[in-house]
Amino acid sequence: MTRHNITEKNQGKSQGFTLVALALGILVCGAGWAQQSDWQVPRTPEGQPDLQGVWANNSSTPLERPEFFGDRATLTAEEFQELRRQAEEIRASGGDALFGDGFLNAVISGEVQSYDPATGNYDSGWMVDRNLENRTSLIIDPPNGRIPPMTEEGRARAQQRMSARLSPTDSYLGRPLQERCITWGMPYIMAGYNSYYQIVQGKDSVAIIQEMIHDVRIVPLGEKPPLDERVKLWHGDSRGWWEGDTLVVQTKNFSDKSLFRGAGENRLFTERYTRVAEDVLQYEFTVEDPSTWERPWTAVINYTASEDPIFEYACHEGNYALMGILSGARAAERAGQIPTE
Amino acid sequence: MPNYLAGAALCLSLTVTGFATAQTDNVSRTASGKPDFSGLWQALGNNQWNIEPSAAKAGPDWQWGALGAIPATLGIVKDGELPYTPSGLAQKQVNQADWLALDPVVKCYMPGVPRANYMPFPFQIVQSDETVVMAYEFASAMRIVYMDQPDFDGPVPAWMGHSRGHWEGDTLVIRVTDFMPYTWFDHAGNHHSDQLEVIERYTPAGPNLIMYEAEIRDPVTYTRPWRMAFPLYRRMEENAQLLEFKCVEFAEELVYGYLNKDAPDDRVPPRGMPFTIQEQ
Repeated sequence: MTRHNITEKNQGKSQGFTLVALALGILVCGAGWAQQSDWQVPRTPEGQPDLQGVWANNSSTPLERPEFFGDRATLTAEEFQELRRQAEEIRASGGDALFGDGFLNAVISGEVQSYDPATGNYDSGWMVDRNLENRTSLIIDPPNGRIPPMTEEGRARAQQRMSARLSPTDSYLGRPLQERCITWGMPYIMAGYNSYYQIVQGKDSVAIIQEMIHDVRIVPLGEKPPLDERVKLWHGDSRGWWEGDTLVVQTKNFSDKSLFRGAGENRLFTERYTRVAEDVLQYEFTVEDPSTWERPWTAVINYTASEDPIFEYACHEGNYALMGILSGARAAERAGQIPTE
Repeated sequence: MPNYLAGAALCLSLTVTGFATAQTDNVSRTASGKPDFSGLWQALGNNQWNIEPSAAKAGPDWQWGALGAIPATLGIVKDGELPYTPSGLAQKQVNQADWLALDPVVKCYMPGVPRANYMPFPFQIVQSDETVVMAYEFASAMRIVYMDQPDFDGPVPAWMGHSRGHWEGDTLVIRVTDFMPYTWFDHAGNHHSDQLEVIERYTPAGPNLIMYEAEIRDPVTYTRPWRMAFPLYRRMEENAQLLEFKCVEFAEELVYGYLNKDAPDDRVPPRGMPFTIQEQ
């Protein structure tokens, strides 16, 4: 997992406030969302399924199934009970923050791997309450819940990228895209860390707002010619349509700098947004890239409704951390030391 | 909210002297009967250089030749010169004299409101009854306009402010408050304080034209409210769509280049924001 530095901290109280204010109560739910049989998806005045609102990805489920669980897609009742108990313990401990997959991994292993071991900046004060689910992986296909093996081409590309990697402190170019406030990527799926989205539906387009670095994806609905393939984008070029009550969005034209788990510009990304309960938006995505993986893979994240608004995440505007990292490295060199990561 | 009501009343009176009433028979509408502003819009006129009238002049870098020169502008400010307070005018002159170093958008900071609306980049509106989203190509800046929460106070100061909207007939009226003090109105150094309050009015004038007005209130910087007005044109290309201009990557050498290990000798800390770390 990428370690993010103290960028957000420099936005002062507002950012900390965001995380605290957006904290949800712990939600407990099973693999399927129990629905009242008379519930029907609300509709917009245009008659479309109404997916609008602020949605949180605070799922405790890791993207890939920990090997510990083998082929089991769900926790046993006892394991789930234990997850809830340990979650409460982690929450009450006031220790380091756990984001993304780190949460369930800590519960399983009993060891907290700090998100930020270098500075200790991220403590439990940054954490929202996680949405506890009894699933063992977000990935539903392949059935083993894990990202498929890479192709030879994909492995060679990853190797090449590794060897071309710049020193992390010689230049801003050596820092991750997140620290440079360029993007957290597309899709941004890490749970529990400004992982809020807002959907707004117009007559012929849908806006998907991502709180992290104030990114908005505009998805045109209906017939619209694809963007010329020479125009590559960080977040790709999206087209959307309705299949029943599901909004389907297909995205391509990714920039080769815009990586997702090792895939680059060749990936085809398909999302399916379905409101399965008043307060649950099911987000399913499939990523296909024969140049990277032996087969496509699919994951499902249950977004939960948030009462709170999206805040302005002015990342670049307050990015003193990047200056601090580089300045610190130069100071270390002047002192005759080798800068550390 | 007495302030809010006063604002609405003042804006109503301004409409009479402003643009002509919308041609309501020729306007795309939502299912709820409101004008549908969804689509890609852009201002023309080079007023990002100067919101007041100005002649063309040379640009800051001779190597860019004609391409780097600054075009003339007719200006979008109404009712004469900007009514600066003495200290406000003094700051404007400081800004103007050193604009390339001090203008926040040069460093890819979010442009604020109303400036985002007349940057030389398109922006896209996605509109529902409850919420209007404005997604700007420049810096991937964005605004969420709360149509259904008139009493929702801005939770924190923001570069793009805090926007609440309502309808006055066919005009979308947006009150924007809770700004950061750092954004400017143009490259000419026109500026504001954190007391800025902007009342925007979007009035349809046919299917492909919005007449835009903004009333600017800032008692710290100006002696009276003033207003600007300009048209927003729909981008009509068959394949028009919002692209990405994530300009952070184009401003990093300016902002951080002096901190690189092998920084060339001419790389110096930028002036103005951010408040830079001085290397020994």
